[in-house]
Amino acid sequence: MSLKNKYAVVGVGYTPQGKVPDRTSLSFHLEATANALEDAGLKKDDLDGLIAYRHFPPCPGEPDITPQLIAQQLGLAPAYLSQDAN
Amino acid sequence: MLDAGICNYVAISYGHSGLWGGGMRQLLFNTRPSEACFGHFGAVGRYALAAQRGMHEFSSGPETWKHIAMGQRKWANLNPAAIMHAKPMSEADYHGAPLVVEPFRLFDSCQMNDGGRAIIVTSAERARDLKHRPVLIMGMGQHNPSNEIAQARYLAGPTGAHKAGRAAFAMAGIGLDDVDACQIYDCFTYTVEITMQEYGFFGRGEGENWFQGGTIEPGGTMPVNTSGGQLSEAYFMGLTPIAEAVMQLMGRCGPRQLGPETRTREPQVILCSDNGGALQSHSCLIFGRG
Repeated sequence: MSLKNKYAVVGVGYTPQGKVPDRTSLSFHLEATANALEDAGLKKDDLDGLIAYRHFPPCPGEPDITPQLIAQQLGLAPAYLSQDAN
Repeated sequence: MLDAGICNYVAISYGHSGLWGGGMRQLLFNTRPSEACFGHFGAVGRYALAAQRGMHEFSSGPETWKHIAMGQRKWANLNPAAIMHAKPMSEADYHGAPLVVEPFRLFDSCQMNDGGRAIIVTSAERARDLKHRPVLIMGMGQHNPSNEIAQARYLAGPTGAHKAGRAAFAMAGIGLDDVDACQIYDCFTYTVEITMQEYGFFGRGEGENWFQGGTIEPGGTMPVNTSGGQLSEAYFMGLTPIAEAVMQLMGRCGPRQLGPETRTREPQVILCSDNGGALQSHSCLIFGRG
C-alpha cells in the first residue's frame, strides 16, 4: 500500500550555527532534538524513535556519536534506534 | 517503523562540531591510498572529478554555476540565521574567489560549520493534533548506483537522482509542473545542476540557459534552496534542505517566505534531495502542505 500522505513532519529543531566554540557534536544533537520536540508541541517521553543522521568519525577529543548515546543523554529509551552510514 | 506500529514519534537528528571542533577538516582530508596514489584527495576532489566530466560531456561549468551560487546567496541575504546573511555576492566575487579543487572555486563549495538540526516525523493522523500545520510526505525514492565514485559506471549521469526522482514522483502521483520550489542537496554548485537535470527540470546541457535570468532567486519561477542552502546558509547534510522545505510549507520563513513576500508562488509542493558517496547514493523526497 502506498505511503503517500500517510506520514508528516511536525517539528524542526535549530541550534546556533556557524563557528560555535566550545561545543561538542553530541551537544548539537541534544539541542536540536530538544528544540524539534518543543517545536512540535511534544514532550520528550512521547519520542519513541531516534535516528542519528550519518555516522562520521568522532571529532578530535569527542566521543563516537551513536543514537544510543543521544538517547541516554536525553534520558530516553526509545523503542527504535538507528543510524545511517557515513 | 512508524508503518509497522513500532514507533509513533521519530526524531531524526544531526550534529557536528564541523568547524571549531575540526570535524569537517578531518572528513575532507580522510584520503584513501587507492585514490591518493593518483593525486586524488578527499571529497572535494571526488565531486570536482564528476564536475569536470560534466563540463566535458554536456558543457556544464562556471557560467552555469555562478547563477546557482549567486541565486542562493540572495536567499541567504533574506535569512538572518544564514552564515552568509550579511554578505552579498557579485559576479566578480564569484569568479574572483580562489580555486579549491579545479574547477570548483570557494563559492562553489558548501559552508563548513558547527551546529545541528533535527526534525520529528509522525503519522498524518497524529500530526493533526499538534502545533503546526503538518507537512505531508507525498513521495519518496532512493537509488544508489554504487558505493563511491571510483566504482561508478557513469560520472556525469545517470546518477542516483534519475531513478530516485522518478520513484518519488510516481508515489506522489504528480509531475514536475506541480512543484513550486526545490530544496536541493548542494555540497557544490554542480550538485544542484546535475540533480535538477536528472530530475528533468531541463535537458542535458541546458542548465546554463535554465538558471540564467533569476530562475531560482527571490521573484523567480522555480525557487531553489531558499534558506541559502548549504552553500550560503549552513551545512547539515540532508537536513538543511528538508528543514527548509518543512518551514516553507508551514509558512514560517519570515522575509524569505515563498509567496507574495518574495514574488513567488505560495508553495503547495516542495521537492527535496540528498546525496552521498559523490553522487552515488541519492534520496528524493516530495513534501506537500497538509
